Order: sequence, then C-alpha cells, then structure tokens
Amino acid sequence: MAAPTLFDYREVVGPDIIEELTILASHVGNRSIKMVNSTAVGGGVAEMLLRIVPLLNEMGIQTTWDVVEGDDEFFEITKRFHNALQGQEDDFQKKVLETYLAWNEKNHNKLCFDEDLIVIHDPQPAALIQWHKKRKNRWVWRCHIDLSHPNQRLWEFLKPYIEKYDAAIFSSALFSPQLAIPQYRFYPAIDPLDDKNRALEDTYVEEVFAKYDIPRDKPIVTQISRYDPWKDPVGVVRAFKMAKRYVDCRLLLVGDKAADDPESGKILARVREEAGNDTDIHILLFSPSIAMEINALQRGSDLILQKSIREGFALTVAEALWKRRAVIGGATGGIPAQIIDGYTGLLVHSVEGASLGIRRLLNHTDFARELGENGHQRVKDEFLITKNLKRYLLLLLALDKLKEGTIFLA
Amino acid sequence: MIKVFQFSSSASLERLTGRRASNLEELLILIETCSDSSIFYHTFSAFLKLREAQVPFNSDFAIWVARMLNERALAEKLTAIDLSEYDTLESLRNRLIQLIGRHVKENPLSCKKMANEPFYLHDMTRVVYLTDHFAYDLASFRALLKKISIYSFYFHFIESRMQPPLKTDNFSAWIEESLEMPSLAQKIRRIDISIYTLEGLRSRIIQLIDGYSEAQTR
Repeated sequence: MAAPTLFDYREVVGPDIIEELTILASHVGNRSIKMVNSTAVGGGVAEMLLRIVPLLNEMGIQTTWDVVEGDDEFFEITKRFHNALQGQEDDFQKKVLETYLAWNEKNHNKLCFDEDLIVIHDPQPAALIQWHKKRKNRWVWRCHIDLSHPNQRLWEFLKPYIEKYDAAIFSSALFSPQLAIPQYRFYPAIDPLDDKNRALEDTYVEEVFAKYDIPRDKPIVTQISRYDPWKDPVGVVRAFKMAKRYVDCRLLLVGDKAADDPESGKILARVREEAGNDTDIHILLFSPSIAMEINALQRGSDLILQKSIREGFALTVAEALWKRRAVIGGATGGIPAQIIDGYTGLLVHSVEGASLGIRRLLNHTDFARELGENGHQRVKDEFLITKNLKRYLLLLLALDKLKEGTIFLA
Repeated sequence: MIKVFQFSSSASLERLTGRRASNLEELLILIETCSDSSIFYHTFSAFLKLREAQVPFNSDFAIWVARMLNERALAEKLTAIDLSEYDTLESLRNRLIQLIGRHVKENPLSCKKMANEPFYLHDMTRVVYLTDHFAYDLASFRALLKKISIYSFYFHFIESRMQPPLKTDNFSAWIEESLEMPSLAQKIRRIDISIYTLEGLRSRIIQLIDGYSEAQTR
C-alpha cells in the first residue's frame, strides 16, 4: 500500500487542520531538516521518523534522515546509557566514555550537516555536536526518554554536550531536567493511517481472533505490552482474577519476545504461573508482532489495560483511545497526559484499583463508550502525527526568533 | 464602509521551563517571577485543553490547587476570576498573587501543604498567521464561523482580548464598528466565557447571530 499523503489525513483530522498546516509550511518556506538517530528499523523513534520524514518533504521542507554507525561495543554502551539515564545504577569507566565519543567523532566526520535544522534523537548521537564548532544552522536535541531521575555521573558527562544545542525537546514536563537552553514539549504521536491504527474490516478482526483461538463469547480485557516487570503483567492477571468473581470475561495478554531482554522469559513464566489453568486467560507471545494484527486485537477488545508501574510515554494508550476503546492505565509517566481520569479513561494505582475499574467499565458499558469517545477526541487533539508536523513547523519558526514570545507572520 | 474581516489563527509551541512548585508558597513564587506568556499559557490557553474534563475549574492554577492540594475554596476563587476584566497580563498576574496571598494569610497551614504532584511551569511561543477566509457581511461571517478551525476561533475570541489596544474580542469589535450592529456586538461581548467550551462559545455566537437576523427580518 502506498504511503499516505497529507491529503489523506484531511478525512481523519479535518480539512481546517491540514489547511492551517499548509499555511504554516508556506511561511517556513524552503528549509531543510536532517534527522539523526541510531537505528533505521525497530523502536518507536524509527517508526515515527519513517512516517514524518515523507510528510515534511511533501510540505516542502527538504528532510533527510541519517543513522549513525557503531560496533557492538558502541551499541552495548549506548544501551547502558539509555538505562542509566532512566535511573538505573551503573558505573561508567573512562574508557567506556571515550569509546562513546570516538564513535560520535567518526560519525560526525562521515556525515554532512548543511541543513538549516539538525535534529539529533536520543543519547546515542548526542555528542556529534562537539565536533561541529562553527555552525550557522540550528541544532536541536530530541530526547525520547525519561530524564527525570538520571544516573548523575552519566548526566554530568552528557549535560555539557546537550547545552551546546540551541534547544532540546522532551515528551513531557515530567521528563525534563534543568538546562541552560530552551526546552520544548513534543508529545509522542501515533499515525492514524498506519497498519497499527487504521480502520479495519470487522471480518479481518474476526479472522485474527479466530487465528489465535480466542473466542469472542464474552467481554475481552486486553493488555498489549512487553513482558516486563514495569508493565506489571502479573498484576494484570491478579486484577483480572479479582474482577472475574463479579463479571464474566476473558483476559488477553499480548507481548513481543524481546531477544535482548533475558528478564522477559522469567516474567512470562511468572505470568503463566499466576494464570494457572484458567482457560479464560490467553497469553500470546510474538516475535515480532504484526502491526495489523495488534490493531485487530485492540479493536476486538472491550477494554484495554496499560497497568504500568513505571512508564515512558506508553503510546499503546493513545492507540487504544484512538480506536475508541475504554482504557484503564497506571498513573505513571506519560499515561496521565493521555488519560484524564474519569473523562478519557480510568487511572489506577494498584491491582485492586485495576480490578474495580474492570468491574465498573464492563458493567457500565455506556460510561465505557463515553470514555472511549472522549479519548478519541483527546488523541485527535494532541497525539496524532499531524500535530507533530505542526510542532516541527513551529519549531523552525521559533528558532528564528528565540527571544520572541509571539511571532506575527505577515 | 464595511471593512472586510480576514480571519487569522494562532498556534503555540509549548516550552518547558524546568521550574515547578510543590506547595502554595512555591506556586506564588512561580507566579510572581514567571513570564507574561506563562501566565497566559496557564490561564487563557486552558480553553484549548479539553476544559470540559476539568469542570468547574477553568485554569491550570485552579485545577492544580483543587486536585493536587485539595484547597477547594482557593480553587473556586481562582476559577471565579473574570478574565474579561483584565486587559493586561500584569493585572491578571497581580490578581492571582492577591488571591493566593490572601488565602495563605487566612489559612497559614495551607502554605506548606505538599501537593501529590508538582505544578510544572510551562511557557509558550505563539505564532500568529492569516488564513484565506474573508467575511464581508454578517451572512458570510456566520458561514465562516462554522468552518474555521478551533484555533482560529480561539485566536479571535479569546487571545485577542489580551492584545492592546483592544479590550474585547475581535468578533464583537468588527460587528460593532464595521457592520454597525452594536446590539449584536453587545450580546456577543456579554457571553460568559468562563462557563463554555470553545465549541460551546462558537455555537452560542452562531445562535446570537441567528436570533439577531431573525429579528431583523420580522
């Protein structure tokens, strides 16, 4: 299927929104952007770039995307960076930091940075700016991870590089540190026209449930998430079992096998143990999942859970809300930005809370429907790719006039 | 002579400041020292943030004081501020400071009460631009009012109140000055912006225009 064009989004977000995007693009004019990250496939950042780069080009902003190179040692180090910046204890020896910098220097020498705006995604290529001293263009660091409690030693090492940028972008105020440069908030976004989110025929949804042998004879409660302790799949099984004493339903747990995560096997074993021989609990393990099937499993569910204990942004919530599903989410990370408790879903803080939520929403289907409708609107307003296109256009304009609070376009 | 009304629109890029408050004392410091655009963001921009979900509170300050500090009386007073009475952000800021300061003085214990979650101070960069929509008379104005984006509506009916020399919204000003319909303008000006959503405000204006047109043809 051909990639959607800007015109295709008119049906989804409304012609007025696309019209204003094109007006903004005309003011931005003939500019160029280079996006730089560390992987071309897999992961939310690559997925997002794959969709947004062609759309920016369609609006006349010449946008390219480069991926930094490195050996296994470099990517092992940057994986440790990722975990440590999100709070994990680690001790980074001088040699480790030197290896990181050496690969950044190599990549800097290999890539060209002539574009008007350079957007560096995440910590892997963050030090590229160090070797670009006499720059005439703007450099922005887009951080997709939670920096609220970083490993201090690593953050002290990285911060001087980050403060060389003209600005930084974070996904939420919760994740942003104190910095000497301007910071902007870009919520992560979903693409309503990709396979994971586009409308599907009911027959296809039926086929997918049949394929995985999941009867649709009673309400289905689903959590789609990695088998990771922070997503609390064991807590989900417990909440389901507590709720099932009052309301007859099925639980569907769906997760990808994470090849690089030895913990996931152990968690999955604990989930299976907790589930016991309850035939109403269905545990699916994909490697990897097919986006359109995930879409079908969400659409075919009556209720979606994202009972995380700790979370980044959890775009699975936006995906479910977009499909007008009622969602119960853990009150952590980016989930409260998406779920306004009692209005676009339910926020919970415990297994008991999740259990009560399941009982409430499966018994009060009108209320569940209302939450789903409101949630759909919330996603339409804030968490769609078109909103991020707008943010990039505004960013180009704002970086021209960093000191001005209001920019009047003639 | 009728002056054509060209619709504008605005968009905001949210800025993070890294500054936060965990109690009323800290909130007061933030309000005293933040930029005008931060005050604007946390009061007027709340219209763009699904305000129906936060009923009855209508600004980020009031929502946080109610939900995170459980200081309901102060939240109600902050909600009752009539935004249409303030034609500068400085005067609005002073009113916020006065209300919180008085509450803290009358309820000293409230001052140090810690919030469940901090108040994150935001700022914003606004971009204002013209659209291709023009109104020539009341009929074309009404037709476009239904069609323009919510951001365009917000710009003319809410944001414009804070732009000198106007102390009112753009719509009623144009209807009064250019269409010479002062009674309709007066009715639009008297709409209580505190109790409607943006879509509700849009519908209310259309309703007033329809009522006015009907009365004229009678």
